[in-house]
Amino acid sequence: MPVVELSYSSLQKLIGKVSKKQIADSLPFLGLDIESEDKDLVRIEYSPNRPDYSTDFGIALGMQGLLGIKTGALKLKIKKSKQYSISVTHDVAKVRPFVTGIVAKNGKIVDKTIKQLMAMQEDLHFGIGRKRKKSSIGIHDLDKIQFPLVYTTTDRKHKFIPLNSTKELSITEILETTEVGKDYGNLLANSTKMPIILDANKNTVSFPPIINAAVTTVTTKTKNLFVEVTGINKDDAEDMLSVVATILQSAGFSLETVTISGAKNSTPKLAERKMTVSPSLINQTLGLDLNVSKIISSLKKSRLDAAAKGKNIVCTIPAYRFDIFGEMDLVEEVALGYGIQNLEPTISPSQTLGQTNPVSLQLKSLNLTMIGLGYLEALNSSLTSKRVLYEMTNRESKTIISVLDSKSLEHTILRDSILPGLLENLSKNIHESYPQKLFETGTVFSSGNPISETINLSGISAHKDANFTEIKSVLQSALKTGFDLEIATKTTEHPTFEKGHCADVLINNKAVGVIGEINSKIIENYKIRVPVVAFEISLSESILKSL
Amino acid sequence: MLSQVFHDIEKKIITSLKDNPKQTPENLEESTKLSPDQIRRGIEWLKLKELANVEESKSSIISLGENGKESLEKGLPERRLLDLLKIKSTLSDLQKELGPVFGPAMGLARKNNWVEAVGNTITLKNPPDVLPGEKSLKQIGDSKLSSDELDSDDFSGLLKRPNFVIEEIVKTKQISLTDAAKSINLDTSSGGIDVEAKVPEIFVARTHPLKDTIDEIREIFVTLGFSEIYGNMTQSSFWNFDALFTPQDHPARELQDTFYLDGISAKKIATPEQIRKVSDSHKNNWRYQWDINEARKMVLRTHTTCVTIKHLAETKPDEARVFSLGRVFRNEKVSYKHLVEFNQIEGVVVGKDANLRNLMGIQREFYKRIGITKIKFWPTFFPYTEPSLQTMVYNERLGKWVELFGMGIFRPEVTKPLGITKPVLAWGGGIERIAMLKYGLDDVREFYNNNLNWLRSVSKCQ
Repeated sequence: MPVVELSYSSLQKLIGKVSKKQIADSLPFLGLDIESEDKDLVRIEYSPNRPDYSTDFGIALGMQGLLGIKTGALKLKIKKSKQYSISVTHDVAKVRPFVTGIVAKNGKIVDKTIKQLMAMQEDLHFGIGRKRKKSSIGIHDLDKIQFPLVYTTTDRKHKFIPLNSTKELSITEILETTEVGKDYGNLLANSTKMPIILDANKNTVSFPPIINAAVTTVTTKTKNLFVEVTGINKDDAEDMLSVVATILQSAGFSLETVTISGAKNSTPKLAERKMTVSPSLINQTLGLDLNVSKIISSLKKSRLDAAAKGKNIVCTIPAYRFDIFGEMDLVEEVALGYGIQNLEPTISPSQTLGQTNPVSLQLKSLNLTMIGLGYLEALNSSLTSKRVLYEMTNRESKTIISVLDSKSLEHTILRDSILPGLLENLSKNIHESYPQKLFETGTVFSSGNPISETINLSGISAHKDANFTEIKSVLQSALKTGFDLEIATKTTEHPTFEKGHCADVLINNKAVGVIGEINSKIIENYKIRVPVVAFEISLSESILKSL
Repeated sequence: MLSQVFHDIEKKIITSLKDNPKQTPENLEESTKLSPDQIRRGIEWLKLKELANVEESKSSIISLGENGKESLEKGLPERRLLDLLKIKSTLSDLQKELGPVFGPAMGLARKNNWVEAVGNTITLKNPPDVLPGEKSLKQIGDSKLSSDELDSDDFSGLLKRPNFVIEEIVKTKQISLTDAAKSINLDTSSGGIDVEAKVPEIFVARTHPLKDTIDEIREIFVTLGFSEIYGNMTQSSFWNFDALFTPQDHPARELQDTFYLDGISAKKIATPEQIRKVSDSHKNNWRYQWDINEARKMVLRTHTTCVTIKHLAETKPDEARVFSLGRVFRNEKVSYKHLVEFNQIEGVVVGKDANLRNLMGIQREFYKRIGITKIKFWPTFFPYTEPSLQTMVYNERLGKWVELFGMGIFRPEVTKPLGITKPVLAWGGGIERIAMLKYGLDDVREFYNNNLNWLRSVSKCQ
């Protein structure tokens, strides 16, 4: 979840008459989690579907509604201007087909604003921009740019001075030497033509989605901004622009249009949407009995506009609330405006009879049988390592099911056997008193399409007198008591067990597992100083009864 | 002073040691007629009560080796040389008579200045009456002696010579009574046993603490009218993500969060109708090119919701309460609060009148039954539910609110494509978190460490 750092005092200024405590108490009811607090500073986690909460302006907007200080939708005021335009050439279609933009004038930019804009931009890039793939933003100093602009393509030799640099670099150099170039260059890897925004004097403004030109860098001396968004989908680009426009207007800027034309591009409207929702769906879903005016006031508290129309309610949704897909999203907006804390939980009598899964029941009684035999239940991960599964136990690794890019070396492959984990457990407990007797039931995996998942039982006993007879008696009793099954054992060889002290376990002449004394070399590898005996059987095929 | 209650074994040992204050266990066996095991136990008990001292010492036991035995019979080689010199004096005669021992005997005699050699003629000088080693040789004879009994100056020479003596190192225990024990009057002690003494610890075999919590949760949901369903841990991305309206380019689907199975794609993922409708829902709402190959990629399930949704898509019930319980996986760095593999419970209620307050009610009832009464609900976001809430419960020990189950109503974008027509209330969360509250743990890894010290000591009833 993305995190934004804010100060209570600036929130107070933006929201209006409100105490610090009121803010802290209300944040969770906007769906925002306080991650940490340090005096005036507060770090807030917001969900990626609400990028408007990436700045204090957006949070203040929501908070005003929730507290009833200012309700209803925020209307974007965009002055139509003929001064600013971008024309798009056809060759961008194959690289990054869409551009959109807006101008924001006469704002006050202090250091904090720049920091916030940068953070918002990064969050938008990561979240709805899908790491700049879907859409990306450039924010520029308007007064350093000569309109009209052109959005076109160039080759990799094209040179300009990129942001945070003092010398000219070619596009190839940017992609190879700068951090952003290395991080996002792969988005352009398939094309020879590079997207570029040039101004009227052929100066580079931006090389989307990688980097802006240094000349348009926003500083505390900047008064007026030009925002451009490029992307592979027009609607996504405009969604992103709507968030930035909303935040900039809230921050005190006056918005003006940028005319966009050419190659299926057009001037963004950033228009509100209308959506109808029925009060009965709202009441039925929330378990409430709200009248129409209460529903309307709740929606307004969620910073939407709403009006009754016949039996239904028509909702007006500002452009930046593109997280609202349909009626159900409006139901949630009503719930938030009404206040989750005001919803009283109720219990409705069950219309159904509950039932434990028969497999769970059988496993539970098997567990109790093993405990009756003096075995302690262990639990190990199904995702384990080659070392534990194969190397330490001398087993052959035939067909391994492994996961990609695990962050932990101890968790890279799915287990096909439980016993190696139990041996590993014994090795971690050599300083504890003996006898040590452990068992585990759990899922094991074997490759194939589909992958087979079955349940195994393994038991292990370690003490100075441990021997084959003991472990066979245990398995025999467990299966006799648990399932009324008789076992037979037949000599076999297994790399984990001592030669001549190892047998297949048979039920009705079918091999279901292996039993024996653990190979002394393996015991030595694990630095265990007493004999160890063990068994492992598959429960799924012949033992567990499924209903 | 301890209450004076002694076992018969202890009494016999004390009595014997009073007569003969220092004895080895073997001596005690003889004097008390007890078995070696009884003696061993009796000494252990007395030692624990601080009534007996056990001194362990090492001693070396000496007997004659092959050359020693020959010398005992014929005299030491140098003695034989000196005796022979009384009758013969040429080198060749001496060599012939003494054979292989001549060399060492001659060397020793010359070194000690007992003889003088001029050319081939050897003459006696002034040998002592008793040669070094002769005294010890006789003393050892055919017996075995402790080296303490020998004159060490005389004996040390023999020890160095090859195969003259055999030295065995023997550990011995000497048992004696402590001062406290010496004053014990056995006649006045009763025939009872020491009921106040410490006894050995027995470790109870038991179910794993986490399994206890899982069973408890399972039982609560069954009694609330829910039935348990099972599903695989390996799932296609289709059921783990696509069916749950998580777009294919969503960050949660990346390798760094989800475990993908190396090179494994599911052949059959769902019915053609399910695939078509789910992909349409993605294309229309998320505006991107949905790719069936992405949906085929097999993952380790990141939640048990995939089991629930698959079940609902198959059964399309008008009325149902089901839950699934099992392991889920996240590609995380393992730490005190994160595991790569943990257990999750996931439950759903399907019904035409099912609503958000009911969902909150079931949560409240569940928490009440596991002993948590201080709870509240906060809004949150999940891609597949709307509205979505999370439960916060108050942790008395940490003095703060902690997040537990997430919940919500399945979005129409999830249910409609799969032909589910009634509202579905869903919730779920990690079981380890609840178990941590229950067992007062701060490190979630403890559940999978299989540390016997913890497993054997953690209290079963919390």
